[in-house]
Amino acid sequence: MILVGASLVAFAVLHAMPGDPVETELLAWGLPRSDEGVAFLRREWGLDRSWLAQYGLWLDRLVSGDWGRSIRTGRSLLDEFGDALPISLVMGCGGLLIGLVMALPLGFFAAQRPGGVIDQVTRSLSVISQSVPLFCLALAAIWLFAAELRLIRPFTGPAFERLLLPTLLIALYAVPRFSRVYRRELLLAINSPYCKFALAKGLSPRAVLWRHAHPVASAAMLAAVVSECGWVIGGTATAEVVFSLPGVSLFVVQSVGVRDYFVLQFYIVIMAAWMLAIGQAADAARAWLDPRTAP
Amino acid sequence: MTAARILMLAAIAAVLALGSVWQPFDPEAIDIAAALAPPGSRHWLGTDHLGRDILSRILVGGWRTLTVLAAVAALSFALGAVIGTSAALIGGGVAELLMRFAEFLAVLPSLVVALVITAIIGFTPATAGLALAIGHAGPFALMAYGLARRTVAEPYIEAARLLHIGRPRLVLRHILPNCWPTLAAYVAADLGRNVVGYAGLAFLGLGGAISSPDWGSMLYEYRSHLFDAPSLMLWPGAAIAVTATVLNLTLDPTVADTDDTA
Repeated sequence: MILVGASLVAFAVLHAMPGDPVETELLAWGLPRSDEGVAFLRREWGLDRSWLAQYGLWLDRLVSGDWGRSIRTGRSLLDEFGDALPISLVMGCGGLLIGLVMALPLGFFAAQRPGGVIDQVTRSLSVISQSVPLFCLALAAIWLFAAELRLIRPFTGPAFERLLLPTLLIALYAVPRFSRVYRRELLLAINSPYCKFALAKGLSPRAVLWRHAHPVASAAMLAAVVSECGWVIGGTATAEVVFSLPGVSLFVVQSVGVRDYFVLQFYIVIMAAWMLAIGQAADAARAWLDPRTAP
Repeated sequence: MTAARILMLAAIAAVLALGSVWQPFDPEAIDIAAALAPPGSRHWLGTDHLGRDILSRILVGGWRTLTVLAAVAALSFALGAVIGTSAALIGGGVAELLMRFAEFLAVLPSLVVALVITAIIGFTPATAGLALAIGHAGPFALMAYGLARRTVAEPYIEAARLLHIGRPRLVLRHILPNCWPTLAAYVAADLGRNVVGYAGLAFLGLGGAISSPDWGSMLYEYRSHLFDAPSLMLWPGAAIAVTATVLNLTLDPTVADTDDTA
């Protein structure tokens, strides 16, 4: 249902574009404009039919993988997205995963001692991540690690070296988001009757936090992870530009720059499909982590 | 709000507004002879690789940022208030539909919106503002709906309706005055994030011409000098960070997350 909606939106976007595709094509090939030529192309491309028939035609091409070519590079769009997606996904998902792994202990210790050192550190990180754009820190990181310390070659090194800094930066931005939610939910849970009971039973606060509060809090943190995951393909946009990594966002932004709007359509469809898949996975994971919310 | 916060906010607003009336130099004036000058008495913050005065460019960028902030706030507030209050007044299936639409706007990533708007109307500074405003209108509409629905149930609205007061007057005089303080607080809380969002879009080239003196596009332009003149990046970067931090800390109570009452 959502996919149909997204494909309709993508299709509508193409129709809202200024300019006639036939005129554009004729200009691109440097052909003289004749009424027969225009009429032929319109018939050939199905532009003389109703928009519903055109949508069907377009959908058919979408499903069969015939996505056309990029105006900018001349390569098939399926290949272009096939090459670019893994880069964005490795960077984005890798960053979120590292962030999650770091956020768990940080959030846990922050909840154990509210106002303590770790609580203060994650709180400052939270303010910084909301006030300093990722690309500012990325430029600073390149300057420090590549230009001053010469530890890393972010533009010329092997794939691992090129992906390392952006992935770590994305992790740095994910850590406060995850750990603050986790901490807040832990504190909420610890004040609930069942945790009070466990404390009264004689369990240490740490054991109560881990055994009784953690399962509930991690289920709540999942919501934060999901919302970050849904936007992982686009969230890497500025990082891709700074580190000149040929990911999806860089490809789409450059394509829009040269008015190659077909790319944008397929991008919207891919984004919608990805967000939908993440949503489904999240529902499954939530039911597994917190059986109370299972339908 | 403490006096210190008001003072900080006023200082930032004054600096951002200053760019509209005064710059020491023409921000676009190229002076190759003075390229990459260090900060000094003539060029307070130095010059860039084309000899343009950095302070002037930062000031103009600040004014552009302020304009976008104001536009985004006004637009998202208006859109959200219109969608939310009309849904609350009409109710039923229409309200359901409008709220679904608002939820859709809320999850729509601003980058995608910006790309689509760019595709339709081209590269203008309005693109970034429009994209950010549409994204924020979703949550505002949901909030306005909640507030307005509570207000609509009040006896005095019932009385106003019995007096045959028309819908526009009902909304403007009786419903909105009850909602707008809360909505305005949320609009203000978003200002800091909008500075960051606008800088990001400008950095990607979706905020107008890439050579325009926006803080984000300055960083884009200067980033190729990262190895030979890294100080070029200091000023626009610091401008974004300081502005966003001040706005976040003074206007958004959730940013510092000091709520331990949980």
